[in-house]
Amino acid sequence: MAEKIVVTSLGILSALGNGTDENLQSLLSLKSGVHTPTLLQSIHAHEFLMGEVAYSNDALSAMLGLPTGNNGYTRTSLLALVAMQEVMKGIDKDLLQSEGFAYINANTVGGMCAVEDLYPQFIGDEMEGDFLKYIDTLDCAESTQNVVDYFDIQPFTATISTACSSSANAIILGARMIKHGIVKRAICGGCDALSRFTLNGFHSLKNVDKHPCRPFDNTRFGLNLGEAAGYLLLETEKSAKERGAEILAILSGYGNTNDAYHPTAPSPNGDGAYNTMQLALTNAGLQPQDINYINAHGTATINNDAAEGKAIECLFENNIPLFSSTKPYTGHTLAAAGSIEAIFSIWALQQQKAWPNLNFTTPMEDVNVRPVTTLTDAAINHVISNSFGFGGNNVSLLFSKA
Amino acid sequence: MMKPAYISAAAALSPQNSFDADTLLTDVISSDNGKLFVKDTDYSKFINPVAIRRMSRMLKIGISTGMKAVQLSSVEKLNGIITGTGRGSMRDMELFLGDMIRLKEEALNPTYFIQSTYNSVNGWLAMQTKCTGYNQTYVHRGHSFEMSVLDAKMLLHDATEPQTYLVGCLDEMTDDYFIVKNKIGYWKKELPNSLQLLQHSNTQGSIGGEGAAFFTITNTSANSICSIEQLKMLHNATAASVQENIDSILSAHGMKLKDIDVVFCGMSGDARFQPLYTPILENTTAHTTVAAFKHLCGEYDTSTGFAMWLATKLFQEQSTPEVLIQKKGINPAINNILIVNHYTLNSASVVLMKKS
Repeated sequence: MAEKIVVTSLGILSALGNGTDENLQSLLSLKSGVHTPTLLQSIHAHEFLMGEVAYSNDALSAMLGLPTGNNGYTRTSLLALVAMQEVMKGIDKDLLQSEGFAYINANTVGGMCAVEDLYPQFIGDEMEGDFLKYIDTLDCAESTQNVVDYFDIQPFTATISTACSSSANAIILGARMIKHGIVKRAICGGCDALSRFTLNGFHSLKNVDKHPCRPFDNTRFGLNLGEAAGYLLLETEKSAKERGAEILAILSGYGNTNDAYHPTAPSPNGDGAYNTMQLALTNAGLQPQDINYINAHGTATINNDAAEGKAIECLFENNIPLFSSTKPYTGHTLAAAGSIEAIFSIWALQQQKAWPNLNFTTPMEDVNVRPVTTLTDAAINHVISNSFGFGGNNVSLLFSKA
Repeated sequence: MMKPAYISAAAALSPQNSFDADTLLTDVISSDNGKLFVKDTDYSKFINPVAIRRMSRMLKIGISTGMKAVQLSSVEKLNGIITGTGRGSMRDMELFLGDMIRLKEEALNPTYFIQSTYNSVNGWLAMQTKCTGYNQTYVHRGHSFEMSVLDAKMLLHDATEPQTYLVGCLDEMTDDYFIVKNKIGYWKKELPNSLQLLQHSNTQGSIGGEGAAFFTITNTSANSICSIEQLKMLHNATAASVQENIDSILSAHGMKLKDIDVVFCGMSGDARFQPLYTPILENTTAHTTVAAFKHLCGEYDTSTGFAMWLATKLFQEQSTPEVLIQKKGINPAINNILIVNHYTLNSASVVLMKKS
């Protein structure tokens, strides 16, 4: 039997707040963080509700002790750094460093939130100016490198981009690298900041809802976008015990598959989602009836929820576990969604509660499953967290009670 | 140490005649404007004719290269697809962003947005090969391709039955990208002809390049071209750390530097990074051929893929084209190749490959 991979520290910054306490309290009090954005500069900003993090770039910089103004840090990086501050509180940096670790980050559009404002200067005639600080921020590794530099750490680093399953893939990679003995620990997760680019991208695909998103509801129309950063410290059970760390949950399985069906739409009968959840179960050596709660991908787009709902119906048959999407709380935070929802899944195990699916009123016509709609106390030993992305990139993570 | 992985087929689209030509680098292409663009091929041979009409250049390049590697390998079923890209489809990003600014966020074409996602080539390759297995995209600047190889090696190390992964890389140069990165000194101020790049290693900057390279990588040596024995990724590389890593790889395989028949160096003509290669140029004996490749493909995040493709050709042909050679060695056969590469934002890698 391979060594158990456990989670021993968390860091989260989302529209629900900064850190574990604020995020957990919002979930427990059924308080959505989705609102009309005040920081995102877009002509569409007033039309849509979004899970915007409450702090301005200057406020985030101040929390990090960085100079304010054009400091060269994109919002993407600032979100990552604040979430990482919380993770780093959970472990002695020198121990982390001396025993070898990885920082696996995930991201969909890098520092686009800054680049989209500066691009005319990037390609214009000006050769000097503050914009130069941001030229290397477009790629996805910029936030990864900023975390490494800010915390003055020398981890093995990697950055993943598989659309909305990016940070779930980061968690899988971290676990595999530990199992291979390449590193002793891994800090894994993702970050994405709201940008006009992303908002207009999803808007051009006509799958953004002007109202609060309604996952698994027959009246659902689309998603609410969000921004967040979330990271998990993974290590072996042995290494956690050696240093006397509290074990928050066990990462007991995972699956990564591809739909091989369409660039943006899931296979309508949910084959991809089914295969991914099945693979995670097999990987963990568990049966469908062992699962007590699913934190669904549940974007509230027409296609995703129909496919995911069918997959859940098919795989769990007469034992449909409690399931919900937490996207109505945070918005769809894209590359960060996998890691912040992994955190919500771990809290479900710790609190022995299933998070209610907000905004649900009308069951879907063609799928015979309903999400849990009230904060429900239950014996929760095993949780699946789903993340499905464009490109058919599907990931399921399976967490078990510590 | 991880088991070796084996390359059973390789394909590359590059600024050179790497895709369709029967001979290796006999008809060399150069440029005078600091930009080396991929030499197009007939993409319709590899992509569905309906889909191809809306596809951007990067998608066509990436998908065609991947499909060609699959065809060459005659593998029946892929176990997964893993790619690395520093930039994704740069042109799609520029078009969507440009339109968004120009049209003031109205009436935008979603195709550019969808294609600009870094994993879009992976998704298409999965569809075209009907591969529902493992699928992953790394976007870590100069380590994007190296991470893909490492991932495949980890998967193959754990596999208990024969498995094959399609592993590749893609990166695109655009005119705008050249303008943008010029502002922070990526390119030479005085642009030499690309073939003269390495004779200008006393000034800052390189020339821009692009390309795609794909490999079918397996855990069985039968019918393979070569093995990837070991791969190391270095952060903030120095001449000393490059040397240390070369030494540790060689000693782990019971080899000396003179056992290396060809060493590919990623010299980019940039004076800032030239010292990283000095130990190789100085320490290699008369046995080893020192080769370069960035004067043929330009500088980009995943150029290690082009070097790795060249290595497969050298193993197959057992000769090194003159245009690659910086220092000619006397070893008669090509059995062991080392790739040492560095990319602008502080990442370097060392790869040891052996002929099967």
